[in-house]
Amino acid sequence: MTDIYLRLRGVGMTFEGQIGGQDGLQSWLTRCFTKGPAVPQSYRVEALNDINLEINRGERVGLIGLNGAGKSTLLKVLAGIYPPTAGHVEKRGHVCPMFEFATGFEMNQSGWDNIRIRGLLLGMAPAEIEAKLHEIAEFTELGEFLSYPVRTYSSGMFIRLAFAVSTSINPEILLLDEVMAAGDIRFAEKAKRRMFEFMEQGKILVFCSHNAELLGTFCERTIWLDHGKLVADGPTAEITARYRCMAAP
Amino acid sequence: MQAMNRFLADSWQALRVWRVWLFLGVQDVKARFRRSAIGPLWILLNMSLFVAGAGLLYGVMINQPMKILLPYLVTGFTLWAMVVSSLTESGWAFVNAEGYIKQFCYPKQIYLLRTLVSSTIIMLITLPAIIPIQLYFGSFSIVGWLLAVPGLLLLLLAALGHITVCAYLGVRFRDLPHAANGLLQVAFFVTPVMFPAKLLQDRHLALIYQINPLYYILEVARHPILHGELAAPEIYAFAAVYILLVWAFAGLVASSLDSRIVLLL
Repeated sequence: MTDIYLRLRGVGMTFEGQIGGQDGLQSWLTRCFTKGPAVPQSYRVEALNDINLEINRGERVGLIGLNGAGKSTLLKVLAGIYPPTAGHVEKRGHVCPMFEFATGFEMNQSGWDNIRIRGLLLGMAPAEIEAKLHEIAEFTELGEFLSYPVRTYSSGMFIRLAFAVSTSINPEILLLDEVMAAGDIRFAEKAKRRMFEFMEQGKILVFCSHNAELLGTFCERTIWLDHGKLVADGPTAEITARYRCMAAP
Repeated sequence: MQAMNRFLADSWQALRVWRVWLFLGVQDVKARFRRSAIGPLWILLNMSLFVAGAGLLYGVMINQPMKILLPYLVTGFTLWAMVVSSLTESGWAFVNAEGYIKQFCYPKQIYLLRTLVSSTIIMLITLPAIIPIQLYFGSFSIVGWLLAVPGLLLLLLAALGHITVCAYLGVRFRDLPHAANGLLQVAFFVTPVMFPAKLLQDRHLALIYQINPLYYILEVARHPILHGELAAPEIYAFAAVYILLVWAFAGLVASSLDSRIVLLL
């Protein structure tokens, strides 16, 4: 069996760009024709700064921090979606990201086809998808709506569909970003149970949440981020207690 | 150099998950014709209307026999449509896949291949429309179609290069697909698609198509289909040189923008 791990060495992530989104032909042309200094309205955010981290097989790690602390950015770097601007990431194992349930649909295609597409993009083999199709469909409780193009869906229905597909795979490295709340009361209850089962399966779990209780249930280890820096890394109970002291008014 | 290596490694990874991009590409074509009564037949119908109209008018205007002109128009126009889609629609390849790129970790290159798949399917649906016309005029040659295969492959390679360049630049410069559209309209008039290259040659304007790379990548597939023989060796050579240049440029553009695409979306 191959080893599964995540290793970050000196990872930094800096976002740069122009305020107002005019980072294209327009500003480029302006710069060509006006011989002034570069447009001053640019931003530079250090979302992550010198993160060193090692997560090994069997570890369940929680991420806490205030909004904008860099939790989601860290997850996206771990997933390989954001290429880090400094340092490097080493990973072994199939990463399953679960960040958003509201985007990434083909609006004009049916629910069935969207299940297939999402399954493929999450790394399932076509035969595996066909085998699980029925079970996934049942979990969504969408019934005949699955034959409708998804542009007719409500936001809750999108979440059901995406959730059902995402949790039907066998994850090695599971990255979760505050995705506990899914759908209406009835579905949320069911989703929670499935999510817990799902989280048990992951060989590595990195889980970002503001809910200290959930972190306590799932993670032995918790990492506290603040302003893109790693503030503390240790047993969940200890870290969440310190975090609460700091964050509480 | 490191960026280039990463781009090549990612591209290789993308090629290996062919099931994903093939499926996405096929779905794109299906979705385009979903809920339309005659579906992909629209492609053929539009083509016939175009050929009937343009063929008759141009036949008289440039004094060409229908037997030659009609198959020429259909072939040229079908292949041209492929070139156009590889240079225009491809500008949105990443933009349209934003929802995927931001949450799944497959290499981005699968969205380039997806675009290639859907435009290739459209081309393959249209190409057989030439056969009945050729049969009617008695100019059908199965050998010619077989000999067109290398040319069609060259066309696909060129298209993939175009798609890569336009998709990457299209994220950075959102005006690009619109600009490409306009430029291609001009290119359409100077490229021998609606009129035979010979017409320019006779008027000592051969240079107009001789310096036009798009002419060569059309001709490598068109000539065998129409004449039942391989195109002249220099045509293949020019097409190959053009493809190499496009790919080199695509490699440069892609490796310098690859890591920033997700941030620019």
